[in-house]
Amino acid sequence: MNHQESQINFQPKPYMNPYLAGIGLGLVLLLSFVIMGRGLGASGAFSSLLSAGMEKISPEHVKSNEFYLEYLGDGTTSPLKDWLVFEVIGVFAGGLLSGALAHRIKKDIEKGPRISNFGRLAFAFIGGAMMGFGAKLARGCTSGQALTGGALLNVGSWAFMLCVFAGAYAFAYFMRRQWR
Amino acid sequence: MKNLFGQLSLNQKIAVVTLLLGLIAIFAGNPYQGNYTRIDAKEIALIVQKELDHITAEELADWIIKEKSDFRLIDLRSENEFSEYHIPKAENIQLIDLNNYTFLPTEKIILYSEGGIHSAQAWFLMIARGYKNVYMLKGGLDEWKEKILFPIISENATPDEIKNFERIKEVSRYFGGSPQTGKIEDIRVKKELPKLEMPAQGSPQTGTQKKKKKEGC
Amino acid sequence: MNAPFFKYGYFGDDLSLVVAFIIGIGFGFFLERAGFGSAKKLTAQFYFTDMSVFKVMFSAIVTAMIGLYYLGVLGLLNLSLVYLTPTYLIPQIIGGLILGIGFVIGGYCPGTSCVAVSTGKIDALVFLIGVIGGIFVFGEVFPLLKVFYYSSNMGNLTLPQLFNIPYGLVVFLVVLMAIGGFMGAEYVEKKMKK
Repeated sequence: MNHQESQINFQPKPYMNPYLAGIGLGLVLLLSFVIMGRGLGASGAFSSLLSAGMEKISPEHVKSNEFYLEYLGDGTTSPLKDWLVFEVIGVFAGGLLSGALAHRIKKDIEKGPRISNFGRLAFAFIGGAMMGFGAKLARGCTSGQALTGGALLNVGSWAFMLCVFAGAYAFAYFMRRQWR
Repeated sequence: MKNLFGQLSLNQKIAVVTLLLGLIAIFAGNPYQGNYTRIDAKEIALIVQKELDHITAEELADWIIKEKSDFRLIDLRSENEFSEYHIPKAENIQLIDLNNYTFLPTEKIILYSEGGIHSAQAWFLMIARGYKNVYMLKGGLDEWKEKILFPIISENATPDEIKNFERIKEVSRYFGGSPQTGKIEDIRVKKELPKLEMPAQGSPQTGTQKKKKKEGC
Repeated sequence: MNAPFFKYGYFGDDLSLVVAFIIGIGFGFFLERAGFGSAKKLTAQFYFTDMSVFKVMFSAIVTAMIGLYYLGVLGLLNLSLVYLTPTYLIPQIIGGLILGIGFVIGGYCPGTSCVAVSTGKIDALVFLIGVIGGIFVFGEVFPLLKVFYYSSNMGNLTLPQLFNIPYGLVVFLVVLMAIGGFMGAEYVEKKMKK
């Protein structure tokens, strides 16, 4: 009996009501606006990480590239001592906290039944690379542009958001074997 | 009504509240308060009376030489005038654009124009918009030229004045000026404004250009 | 109240990093709560079986938008000090399309992949390495893309300015659109379950 009970307790809990989760997310975003005067982000932190890494490997190469230089700043402080970098570390921690509380932490590869693990990982890499590239071109990803700019009624962000959905829906058919 | 609301599901309740907030928003006005401001006339009068509203050309020169970067120097003149000559580190923002320009509340802002009138008007607008840390360059660019770029000492100056002038000369040379000794009548001799590349020692890139990393994603 | 606090100099750069970490925790927490640590749940949006992405995103946008609006109207928040990414329309449209396609291929977006990594998803880790790879490619070809990257600059532009209608009206229209969208999403989900 006892054993069975603990089994039940460690079942992953169902997800939160999406509207309430959204309101929670919106309040976090609002808090960021009120305290910092800026919204949330994600991809920018990885740009800083990459720029810092590139500088270590090849400082000469980085010096000639405007893109990396922007993330390295004026060189007085480490590029990793950056707001978005710390925010993203927090995202990892927050995800871990929520996942642990709901017993949802499990080593896993998420995919549909009709694709191999290797295939899924290859697609994950390709999709990630497109995300990284697209996010830089659009000056932000779903967090920095869609959420943050969406709440600020930013024209570019709304155009961006429509295109994200358009692109994803248009391509979903070709990816159905991966997910369905 | 209350009963009716109670019967709704949680999602419906959220929708109703959100819709209400949205409806009120139609009539509640603009959240950007940019153009409407309140001013405290007495406070402003006090600032002016106490001469807390300006800095002198010498002070400014001193800051630039020491490479202080805790202020922003705003040139209010036209683009042409600006490209002809401006004080090192200055940014060109004209009066009409100044109103649409957002500074950080913590920034120290120094305004200057040709004389003093335009900068005084701009100063007032800035104060009215709630910026506290705004100053004018006393006497504007005219006084900058007179005191810093082309300082003149009369032939019959006292030893004290001569000693002081040695220091001013150095400052003047830093900014590419040409200090002169002569009679007051000679003041009107032809003055050539220094080339914009001056001063050679200072790096004009730092300061205004050294922007922080972008804040976006 | 003088908000944004940081811009008014209430605290410095070092403390802002602590704030960043705490806000990040909140962000990650709600992303995971919503189920966004799962690629299958995220991509289900694009097969109409689970519209959570839309529901969560728009609830968040509407909440923050209404909050910003009322704080601004009440004079508690100086909205002009809140950072607005300038609009470069064409690069943002193309970037959005690439990102959208990448979303349905990779299964995550950069933020959600972080919480997926935290909850043990191997594919999310590979995805994140891909993101860094994509940024690397962008950085390397940036000199070639520079002209395009800075094209169609519209500056800091909001929807009320673009359409020249009151800010509050846009807020209402977005609310209306969101609620309409939510009702549609519920309907579609029910239909797909059958």
